[in-house]
Amino acid sequence: MASSLSIESVSAGYGAVRVLSGVSLRADDGETVVLLGTNGNGKSTLIKCVTGQVRPTQGRITAVIEGKSHDLVGMATEEIVGLGIGIVPEGRRLFPKLTVEENLLLGAYRTGARANIGANLEFCFETFPRLKERRHQTAGSMSGGEQQMLALARALMASPKILIIDEPSVGLAPILVTRVIDKIAELKKALGLTVLMAEQNFQQAIRIADRGYVLVHGKIEFSASGVEDLRSSNVVRRLYLGL
Amino acid sequence: MGVDAELLFYALQTGLLLGGFYAAVSVGITISFGMLDIVNIAHPAFIILGAFVAYYLNSTFGIDPLLSLVIAAAPAFLLGRLLYKMYYYAFERHGEESLQGLAFFFGILFIVEIGLILLFGVDYRFVEAPYISTTFNFWYVSLPLRLVIPLVVGLLMVTAIQLFTSRTFLGRAILAVSQDPGALRLVGGNPVKIKEIAFGVSIASAVIAGPLLIIIQPVEPSIGRDYIGRVFAICVLGGMSSLRGTVVASMIVGIAEAVTATFGGPAWAPAVAFSLLILTLLLRPEGMFQR
Repeated sequence: MASSLSIESVSAGYGAVRVLSGVSLRADDGETVVLLGTNGNGKSTLIKCVTGQVRPTQGRITAVIEGKSHDLVGMATEEIVGLGIGIVPEGRRLFPKLTVEENLLLGAYRTGARANIGANLEFCFETFPRLKERRHQTAGSMSGGEQQMLALARALMASPKILIIDEPSVGLAPILVTRVIDKIAELKKALGLTVLMAEQNFQQAIRIADRGYVLVHGKIEFSASGVEDLRSSNVVRRLYLGL
Repeated sequence: MGVDAELLFYALQTGLLLGGFYAAVSVGITISFGMLDIVNIAHPAFIILGAFVAYYLNSTFGIDPLLSLVIAAAPAFLLGRLLYKMYYYAFERHGEESLQGLAFFFGILFIVEIGLILLFGVDYRFVEAPYISTTFNFWYVSLPLRLVIPLVVGLLMVTAIQLFTSRTFLGRAILAVSQDPGALRLVGGNPVKIKEIAFGVSIASAVIAGPLLIIIQPVEPSIGRDYIGRVFAICVLGGMSSLRGTVVASMIVGIAEAVTATFGGPAWAPAVAFSLLILTLLLRPEGMFQR
């Protein structure tokens, strides 16, 4: 059944600071949509509007999960996750004193995922052999790359239909970023996920993007229907390549 | 065996048995202070409350204190949830839990103590049960049932809580909630609800320890004060959120108190817990165990 995400004319801010103005975008069933833009342009705020951590002042956010439509604005984060939307947050947000395995088990907390916990755990350990090796190690003692993999695996434990990923490359060495992006590509194919990913690393993000949007000062400056579009766009050249 | 060695041996036995009871008394603080970061200074008041519930049911209806324990557990759980709701909405939500929340619990401590004085007076109260005066003796080992039963119940309680926090979803969420409450939302949990249930368990464990206390010794409303130092000393010595640490620390405190009381006189026993607390904070503030 189809799952998709649609954001319509969303505006949001923090107190007197207006961060987003009239942003609209969509991610359709099975698509990987990337949200691009350099730091401070509103990508994280937009992601937080989707995950219920920031309340938009205007606009609608609708998620269709397996054919059923849900209005996300006003819902608490845990309710949104409960619907089947997995979140890989900025900064990983692991439970540092708990082990890899305990973090993963907590990933299946939402009622819809509990029945699959055994199968999902096995899948995670197959997909992330490093995590299996370190299953009894505390999350706080792992390297940045391992932590990012754990954050990704933990989101998958929730059997999500839609996956929201916020800045996975932050703080990681280039080769690790490549590995993380490779992993996401592998997973979205295997699980048929609909993915919305905010990422400032343009070159890495377009490796897995079906479509993309570029956010500048809280507005969509460019929306591309394919990777070539993104590569050839003047906006992107100006922003990322300094041309 | 020389007299001193014999005395020491008995002190060690008593201390060990008492330690089991202290574990029952302290496990609630391991949860509320160690896992939830709540300074519930009124915790001992609920122990005394449980003791007086056992006294009342025993003297009025002849109900065995162990049965009172079972009867009081569920209402105590609900009371704990209600208290947490009040604490959260009045203080924690606004970030004022450190000072105002502490004052709140001090208030609860006094209200409970004075309530008990008004209801029952200041006399020592005791319960009657067939096992209270029974002691098993063999070789140099002396096992008074009135100490053994609280030890067994105490260890069962800690084991039950250990299984709960390691094998159930809710239990695991309780371990995680103070590390990153926002991250708990990101996996679908509501940190406020989770803390509410955990605090309910904490208060229930205190009320359950009450009948155990009155089995060991007669009780009057203000003896809760002796336990304030003990429970926090045990929690810190054990390693804050470590259940295993609670058990080991309880034994250490129990033995230290028993040995001090035997050789230094009973008046020194209350100083033992505070001394251990100060030593721990000076030498190894993170406690003995991590989890």
